[in-house]
Amino acid sequence: MDIAKKRQDFPIFSGRKLIYLDTSATAQKPATVIDALARFYTYNNANTHRGLYELGESSTTHYELTREKVAQFINAKYPNEIIFTKGTTEGINFIASSWVEQHLTHGDEIVLTQAEHHANLLPWQRVAQKTGAKLVFIPIDLETYKTQNPEKYITSRTKLLAVTYSSNVLGDIWDERKQELENLITLAHAVGARVLIDAAQAVMHRRIDIQKLNPDFLVFSGHKMMGPMGIGVLYIKQALHDAVQPYQVGGSMVFSVSFEQATWAASPQKFEAGTQPVAEVFGLGAAIDYINENIDFDQLRQHEARLCSMLIDGLEKLEHDIKIKIHIAGNKNWLREHGHLVSFAITGVHPHDIASYLGAKNIAVRAGHHCAQPLVNLLSIDSLLRVSFGVYNTPEEVEIFLQELTSAVKLLCHSFGSQEYNPVRGE
Amino acid sequence: MLYQEELMDHYKYPRNHKTITSPDFAISELNPSCGDRIAIEGKISDDSISDLGFSGSGCVISQATASMLTEHCIGKKVDIALTLSKNDIIAMVGLEMGPTRLKCALLSLQVLQHGLLSLQAKK
Repeated sequence: MDIAKKRQDFPIFSGRKLIYLDTSATAQKPATVIDALARFYTYNNANTHRGLYELGESSTTHYELTREKVAQFINAKYPNEIIFTKGTTEGINFIASSWVEQHLTHGDEIVLTQAEHHANLLPWQRVAQKTGAKLVFIPIDLETYKTQNPEKYITSRTKLLAVTYSSNVLGDIWDERKQELENLITLAHAVGARVLIDAAQAVMHRRIDIQKLNPDFLVFSGHKMMGPMGIGVLYIKQALHDAVQPYQVGGSMVFSVSFEQATWAASPQKFEAGTQPVAEVFGLGAAIDYINENIDFDQLRQHEARLCSMLIDGLEKLEHDIKIKIHIAGNKNWLREHGHLVSFAITGVHPHDIASYLGAKNIAVRAGHHCAQPLVNLLSIDSLLRVSFGVYNTPEEVEIFLQELTSAVKLLCHSFGSQEYNPVRGE
Repeated sequence: MLYQEELMDHYKYPRNHKTITSPDFAISELNPSCGDRIAIEGKISDDSISDLGFSGSGCVISQATASMLTEHCIGKKVDIALTLSKNDIIAMVGLEMGPTRLKCALLSLQVLQHGLLSLQAKK
């Protein structure tokens, strides 16, 4: 994979010094995606599913072709199983209020992991409060950073399994070699539960295969896979389409309407009320095209793991050279071979200070709780620094990051009186 | 230079980093999104702040601002301290800050003003 050549595909890097190590927050966009948005408004702008003129027909055709493209991209059986949303968060809220709430009662259980992003936690907290259902958390082993005996938590009371495919803090939390996630989904189905997978983080780094994974619902966002912000995908298994209510009602999703009542259109229209972000759908299509034409997921994994390995080596060397303690929140061995991000905390230095220092040197990293406060608290850490990689990052960038991190730590690390700031509690 | 020398000086050698005997008020607050903590204790006499002490842990901006703020407010009238605003803090820190870092800088002002208001409420 020729990284230098790939970087040229991304306009944001040209003519400026930017070391972007925050792809897990949002991925940078290739020119073809940016152009797709402008081209839609310049040459194709018309509302979909309504116009009887050529522009409207063509807009609709391309919109529906993109739906098919997404279905193929994640190996869903039918294009109508692909619903366009604003993003992952909307997709999860959608299923929470349009299906889960109606099907859960007091005493039922929703199984999550301890590593969920707030988007795959808060909607279930609300559902549990409304219905009297109980939240059950599969624990994360604090040595391996993977789930611990997940099958133990699926019981006859389980009505929903809602878990992340890949954590935005820890990386992979399932043992892929044992097909742990697929097996857990099979187990959940065996007890009559439904399964929702949060693939927001995974979609950029792993080939999603719906038919192999077999969830009932799956969500992800376009902007994390080099598409525009404001567009996402909600996969709903066809067999459930009648049971799932519309999330929003209004224009486009109706069959017939009187003053008193309305009947719904067939899915997927039933699930897409109002004018859709058509330009963004075009952009998402362009992102899928870019990935299909330019990215091999196995090579990408090797590339990103190599950068993780360099980074972890560098952090270990830093620990040794300037006698500080660095806590990596993640399975180091796994990250070296399969990772795409590394989250860590340094004793005596606040991640916000490091991130500000690096930001002033045009190095973009993320600091804080990463929308996973319960997980970060579990790790007994106040705040983590996260470096996350994409196809456009290079080994040189990792070296520069390590050099500047060293300078930042030397500047910021100190003790005054008897107090030394330590983001790692209990040390 | 990323951080102003004055700011780093207050971080490394904080002023008023102490406990107060029999304080008139003692308030502490935490910013859960980043773990910054500030606690401020104070003594008042004749409607003026006669002494302040702070403790806490967190990023450079949150801790250094606490040091600067306590130094600024000792000897000032309570009413004056209550009128201090975001702009005064920005001037004190001497750095342009985005909304995230601004929250760090404003934490100690929040704590101090809550402490002073709690006294007024008692009256």
